[in-house]
Amino acid sequence: METEGTKTFGKRKTCPGLILSLLVFGLIVTCIVMPNIAGATGGDETQQCLECHSKQGIIIRFRNGESETSVINAGQFRSSAHGSISCSSCHTDFSAKSHPARIFKSFKQYRIRLSRTCRRCHNDDQLQSRPVHIALLEKEREGNALPCTDCHSAHTMTPSAGGKLTKSESDYCMKCHTRGLNMTFGDKETVSLAIDGSQLRSSVHSDLSCSDCHFGFSSKEHPERTFRTGRDYSIASSQTCRRCHFDKYSETLESIHFAQLNQGNLDAPVCIDCHGSHSIQKGRTEKLRSAKRCEKCHQVIFSTYAASVHGKALIDENNQDVPICVDCHKAHDIGNPLTLAYREHIPEMCGNCHANKNIVGKYGLSTEVLKTYLSDFHGITLNFYKQQTDKLKSGRAMAVCTDCHGTHDIHANVGRDTAIIKANLSRQCRKCHPEANVHFSDSWLSHYEPSLHKAPLIYIVKLACKAFLILMTIGIALQILLHLWRYASDR
Amino acid sequence: MALRQRPLKEERMSAAADTAQYIKRFSLYRIIEHWVLAVIFVSLTATGLAQKYYDLAPSQWLVLNLGGIDAVRIIHRIAGIFLILILAQHLIAAVAGVLFRKWNTSILITKKDFTDSISSLKYYMGLVEQPARCGRYDYKQKFDYWGILTGSILMVITGITLWFPIPVTSVLPGEVIPISKILHTNEALVLMLLVAVWHIYNSIFSPEVFPLDTVMLTGKISRERMIREHPLEYEQRFGAPLSPDDDKPDSSSLDRGGTKE
Repeated sequence: METEGTKTFGKRKTCPGLILSLLVFGLIVTCIVMPNIAGATGGDETQQCLECHSKQGIIIRFRNGESETSVINAGQFRSSAHGSISCSSCHTDFSAKSHPARIFKSFKQYRIRLSRTCRRCHNDDQLQSRPVHIALLEKEREGNALPCTDCHSAHTMTPSAGGKLTKSESDYCMKCHTRGLNMTFGDKETVSLAIDGSQLRSSVHSDLSCSDCHFGFSSKEHPERTFRTGRDYSIASSQTCRRCHFDKYSETLESIHFAQLNQGNLDAPVCIDCHGSHSIQKGRTEKLRSAKRCEKCHQVIFSTYAASVHGKALIDENNQDVPICVDCHKAHDIGNPLTLAYREHIPEMCGNCHANKNIVGKYGLSTEVLKTYLSDFHGITLNFYKQQTDKLKSGRAMAVCTDCHGTHDIHANVGRDTAIIKANLSRQCRKCHPEANVHFSDSWLSHYEPSLHKAPLIYIVKLACKAFLILMTIGIALQILLHLWRYASDR
Repeated sequence: MALRQRPLKEERMSAAADTAQYIKRFSLYRIIEHWVLAVIFVSLTATGLAQKYYDLAPSQWLVLNLGGIDAVRIIHRIAGIFLILILAQHLIAAVAGVLFRKWNTSILITKKDFTDSISSLKYYMGLVEQPARCGRYDYKQKFDYWGILTGSILMVITGITLWFPIPVTSVLPGEVIPISKILHTNEALVLMLLVAVWHIYNSIFSPEVFPLDTVMLTGKISRERMIREHPLEYEQRFGAPLSPDDDKPDSSSLDRGGTKE
C-alpha cells in the first residue's frame, strides 16, 4: 500500500473541551447501548464508524485535486447486501482502534484499489458466471480494470444476482451504460455506449426493456458481438425494429432508400437514421422536426423548400397545415418521384389539401383548383393516361400541378402582379408547347370558373349556349309530344 | 307501339291497294351521301361524347377499348376530316348544281316555312282542321337540314380551333380556345338533339312511318304518302290536280283528323 499523508477533517474547528465532553457522553451512551447491539456481527464497530461517517462534512481529498465526501447513509447501508458485515471486513486497514491516514492518486485509483477487496470474497469463478463480467475481467488483464463499485456501488449495493432486486432490467443495464463505455468496430471506429437516461425515459419506448430491442442480452447474457463498421451495426439494427414495426418495415422494402441500400449504397438511410435509437419520438407530432430529418441528407432540396411558400410558413410560423417532405414523398415507402406513376398521382396529392376547404380555406385559397384542372384538357388526359398505364401499358407525361407551380420551390400567386403571373404562365406553357405565343396562355382560365367577374365573355357565351340548348330541347320535345297527341286523338 | 301499329297496317294495306305505286324521291348519290354522313356522325358523336363525359363508365370503357385517349382523339379528328370533306363536296355540288344544272332550290328557307310551322302548330292544337300543305321539303325537314348543315360548319370551325390552338392563338386572342370548347360541346348536344332525337323520331318512331321510313334506303316514297306529306310537290311534278280517286284515301285520313273535337 502506498499510503502516506493525512486524512483531513473538513470544517472541524472544535475546542478540546467540547471533544472531551463528547467523548464522555459517547462513552456513557456506548455503555447503555452496547448490551443491545452486541449480538449483531460487527455491530459495535459499524456503530463506531458511523458515529462520524454518518455525519455530513467528512471529505476525502486526492492528490490530483479531486475530493469526495466520505458520508455513509446508515439506514441504506444496513439494508444493503453487506449491511451485516463490519466496516473493517472491506476497509481492512481500519478498525475501532486503527484509523490510518492515507492518500490516493485519484478517486478512480482508490476505487480500483478497493475493488481488490471485493475479489477476496467474489472470486473470478463466481464473477465469470455472469457474462457481463467476462469482458471486464479481460480488460482488467489488459490493465484497464473497471471498479466494481461503478456498477454495484459501495455502501448501498443490493444483491444483483439475476437483477431480482433492481427495479427493472433497464436499471440493471443502465448501471453500466450511463458511464463512459466504448465499443470499437473492426475498422477501429469507436463509439460511446453511454445512454442518456433522461432521453430514454422521455422516448416513446420508455416502457420497453433493453432486451426487447437488444435481444440476446439480459442480466444473465451479455454476448460479445463484432461488427466490421459502425454503419454495419446501424443497418443490422433495423432488423430489430422490424420485430414490432413489421408494417412500416415492409413498406420500406418498396422504398427508393431500400433499393439504394440493396445496390450497395450503405449511406442510404435505415430506421435509426431518421428516428434515432434511444431518443425515438413520435413521428408526426411536429412537422418541422420531421422535415429536418430529411435535411440531414437532402440539404439542397431542403433549402429550396425552406424558401418556398410552404417551407416559409413552416419555419417562420410553425404552420402545421403545410406539407412537409413525407406528405408528398411518404415516410416509409418512398417511391422514385421521377416515375410516371408518381407524376400521375400529383394532382391527387396536391388536392388532398388544396381541394379541402378546412385546410386551405383559411388562407383565402380557392378549392376549385383541382376540379378546374381535372375538367380541363390536361386533367382529362391525365385521368385517361392513369387508367391506360394500368390497362393498356401506354401513357406519357402530362402536365400536372408541379409543371406550372414548381415542386420544392412553390411560390404564392395570391397578391402577385397579374403581369408577372401572365409572363410566368407563358413561360410555363412554352416548356411543353415551344411555339406558343403570349395569347396562348390566355386560353387557360387560371383555375377560375367563368363568371361575370372572371372571364365574363366566356361566361356569357356559356350561358347563351345553355339557354339555346334548353330552348331547343323544349321545342323539339313539344313538337314530338304534340304530334303524338294529335295522331292519337285523330284515331 | 302495338296499338299504334294496328291502324297503321290497315292504312298501309288500303293505301297499297289503291296506289301500289312508288315515286322516286332521292338519287343514289343522296342516299350514299346520307349514310356516309351517318357513319361520320356516329363516330364523331361516340368519340366526342366520351371526351365530354369523360368520367362516366361507358366513356371510360369506350376510350380504353379504342386504344386510349390519344387514339380516340385521332379517330375523332379523322372523322372530322371526313366531315369537312363531305360538307365541302355537298356545298360545291349544291352551288354547281344550282348554277349549271338548274337544280331545284326548294331546300332554301322561305317565308312560307314560318307560316307553315305556325299553322301546323295550330293543327296540332286542334285549332285548324288541316295541316300546312308543303312542297318537296316541309318546314320540319328544312329545320333538320339547316340545323345540321350550320351546326356542322360551326363544329368544323371550332373543332379546327381546338385541334390547332397554338397557330390559332398566334392570330386570335387566347379566349377563343375556351369559347370554341364551349361552342363545340354545346353544338354537339344540339346536333345530338336534332339527329338522335328529332330525326330518329321522324324516321323511325313517328307513328306515321313506324317501324321505319324506308325513303333513305330505297330512294322511293309511296304515292299516298307523297300526296299526304308533300302535296305541292306532287301537284308540281304530276301537273294535274289530284283526281278524286287518288284523293279519296288521303282526304279520308285528313277528315279523320278534322272531325276530332
